[in-house]
Parts: sequence; C-alpha cells; structure tokens
Amino acid sequence: MQGEMPGFFPGRPGGERDEPLLDMILERRPIPPGAPPEIHGLARMLAAAAGPAEPGDLAGQAAAHAAFTRLVSPPGASPAALRSARRSLPERPARGRLPLAVALTAVAAGLGSTAAAYAGVLPSPIQHFAHVTIGAPTPPLDLARHAPAVTSSPVHRPPELSTSTPASRLSAASSDPVSDKTRSGQFHSHLKGNGAGLGYPSCVPAPVPKQSHGRAVGHSQGRAVGHGRNPAKSGSAQGGSGQAKTACPGGTVPTKAAHARGQ
Amino acid sequence: MIGAAFGGTLASARTGDEAAFARIFRDVQPALLRYLRVITTDPEDVAAETWVHVVAGLRRFRGGEQDFRAWLFTIARNRAADAGRSRNRHPAVPLDMTEAAQHPTTADAADQALEAVSTQTTMALIKSLPPDQAEIIMLRVVAGLDTGDVARIVGKTPGAVRVAAHRGLRRLAGQVAQAGVTL
Repeated sequence: MQGEMPGFFPGRPGGERDEPLLDMILERRPIPPGAPPEIHGLARMLAAAAGPAEPGDLAGQAAAHAAFTRLVSPPGASPAALRSARRSLPERPARGRLPLAVALTAVAAGLGSTAAAYAGVLPSPIQHFAHVTIGAPTPPLDLARHAPAVTSSPVHRPPELSTSTPASRLSAASSDPVSDKTRSGQFHSHLKGNGAGLGYPSCVPAPVPKQSHGRAVGHSQGRAVGHGRNPAKSGSAQGGSGQAKTACPGGTVPTKAAHARGQ
Repeated sequence: MIGAAFGGTLASARTGDEAAFARIFRDVQPALLRYLRVITTDPEDVAAETWVHVVAGLRRFRGGEQDFRAWLFTIARNRAADAGRSRNRHPAVPLDMTEAAQHPTTADAADQALEAVSTQTTMALIKSLPPDQAEIIMLRVVAGLDTGDVARIVGKTPGAVRVAAHRGLRRLAGQVAQAGVTL
C-alpha cells in the first residue's frame, strides 16, 4: 500500500483521506481550490487524457460510415435481413407486373383475333363463329381459299402447279375445261366479293371454241367479251398498254391483255 | 458527451441518418481509441470491429447516452479479448517522462512540464499501470462511465472498481513524482 502512494499526500500513508478527492478526479468534478497541488496536477493530467480529439483519434471513420451505410441505411439492420431484402428485390416487381402482362397479352390477342376475323383470314369454323358473333365476313369456301389447280382466272395460280412447267400447266388446263370453267366461275364469284385479284398479268389457256369460258369470266367481271378471239392481238394489246410484258407460250394468252381489251 | 440531444441523434441514426451517426462517432471514437490503446496492441482494428457490431445492433439498442457508452465499451472490450492482445502489454516509461525528469523541480518548471505533458504522455503513464487499474481509470475518466457500469464491464464489484481506481491514481502520482515533476 505504501508503495502505491509514493509522494502522494505525504505524511498520510493510509491515503483514506484522499479518497473523496480521488473520486472527484474520477468523476471529473471541479477540484476545490484548497486541495493539495498534487490533486490539481493529477486532475489536469487526466483531463488531458479525456480531452478533445487529436489527429488520428478519428481513424476508421470511413470504415465505420461504410458499415453504417451498408447495415443501417436500408430498413432492417441485420445482414440477414439485408440479404433477404436484396434477394426479394427482383421478385417484387415481377409479381406486380404479372397481372399487367397477362392483361396486355389478352388484349393483344383479342385485338389480333378481331382484326384477323375482319380480314377473313381465320380458319373457316372460327371465321364462321366470328361472323356470327361480331359480324365479321363470312368464311370463304374451301375451294376459294385453296385456289383452283388450274384456272383461267387471271388471279391465282395453284400452288401445286407452281413448280410445274408451262407445258404441263397448259396440258392440265386443257385437260378439263369444264372443270376449269366451274372453278373459275366459283373463284371469280368469290373474288368479286372480296374485291381482290384483279389485273395480274399471267398466262391462261387460250379459249377453246364452244366453251362457255366467256360466260365464266363474264360472270365475274362482265367484260371478257371476245376473250380469246385473237390471242396474238391480245398480246400486243398488253404490250401497248404499258403493262408488264408476259411471254406466254403457245395456246395461252396474258390475262391482263384480256382485261385491257375488255375495258 | 452529446448530452440532451443524444436521444434524438440516436433515433436519427437508427433511421439511417449518416450525419447523426457521424456525430455519435466523433463523440465516442476518441475515447474508444484511447481506451483500446491501453488494453490492446491493435486498437484501430478492434475499434473498427467494435463499430461494425455497434452499427449492426443499433436498432436493437435501448437506453440513454450513458447506456450507449457502456454498451459500446463492453463490445470493444469483448472484441479486444477476442483479439487476444490485451494481455500482451509491457509498458515502459515513455521517453517524454525521461526528458521531464531532467527538468528542475521548481514550481515554474513543474507548470511547464505539466503543460508539456500531452495526451500521449498521459496515456503512456496510464498504460504503465497494472492492467486492471489502467483499464478502470480509462473507463472511469476517459470513457466517462460510472462505477456501476465499469464494474459490469470488467466483471468486478463496484467496491473493487473503486479501490482499483484509487490505487491507480496514487500510482500515477508516484510515477510523476519519480519523474521529478511535483504535482
């Protein structure tokens, strides 16, 4: 005990009487003026230890701020909560957008179906349903939808013959003129309703005498009088009209020329 | 010490106010570093770990400024113990005090010596005390904690804390006297 108080309050080795003053130093209370100078000196020394920050005393502020920004700034202080929040961030907007995406898809599908129905490009049962429900055009006949194999029509050419040679087409065309007539008539009837398929320069079989080909054409356009009477002349007429020049094999005539003549 | 504004500052810091947190940090960090310089050899790292723990538990903390300081220094002491460095202190008499011993022991010289005693010198003197006394004096004087808080932090009774603090102060006075400075 004596060794712990060298020179402190000399003459009072027990030190019990200095305890109130020591408590005042510890509690940083003002020391009474009548206290020994040693007490004042010790108080000043300890006040220096508890003094304001010196250079270096604020070391680590950037790291502490980084930790604060990372852990406290978002709601939820725990790192687990932060990780959970980060994981759920992309999910929340997706959940919110899902109904909107479904609604937009449904609207787009509805508008597209309606437009397709009014364009008449839906399959026949659906087109018929659209015709009944929303007043869309009636479904076309299957024969009209799938164009005739060989036709005297100026419009469509059968897909199955598109790769065949003109000669084979000619042969096929002339093999069943009655059928051609029928198809052509039906097809023109259909086209008339749709208002499409006019004026394509193409080669059609030259008319055969005693066929009612003109009737069929006339049925649709009403202007094919004399069609095929002079195929050669028709060809020149086509060229003279400035239309696309079509070199037609023998026995066929450009349909455009026929129309031009009719006009 | 922040004082009466501490409650509002802490509440703002809890909501993510960086300025409020910076105010608390600047108020506590000097005392924390000085305390850690006494009890550990790696005070900056331990202080950084302490603040990470403080920030992580900021929303759960309840209490006033004294409670906050007691909580923070408890964390710091635990982190220092984890670092395993607090027991490796071998203080030596600082050079400044050796130089001071060469000064005459007149009253003017004593005043000049006291003025020359910087915070670092005082810290070195406190560090030269037995570890428990040094730590208790730091917690009582520098951290500003009362006897009860210090007793809880160091795991002693308030009476034992008071006795250790008194012994440390007397020893400090003796070291200064040995250095030739009359206090």
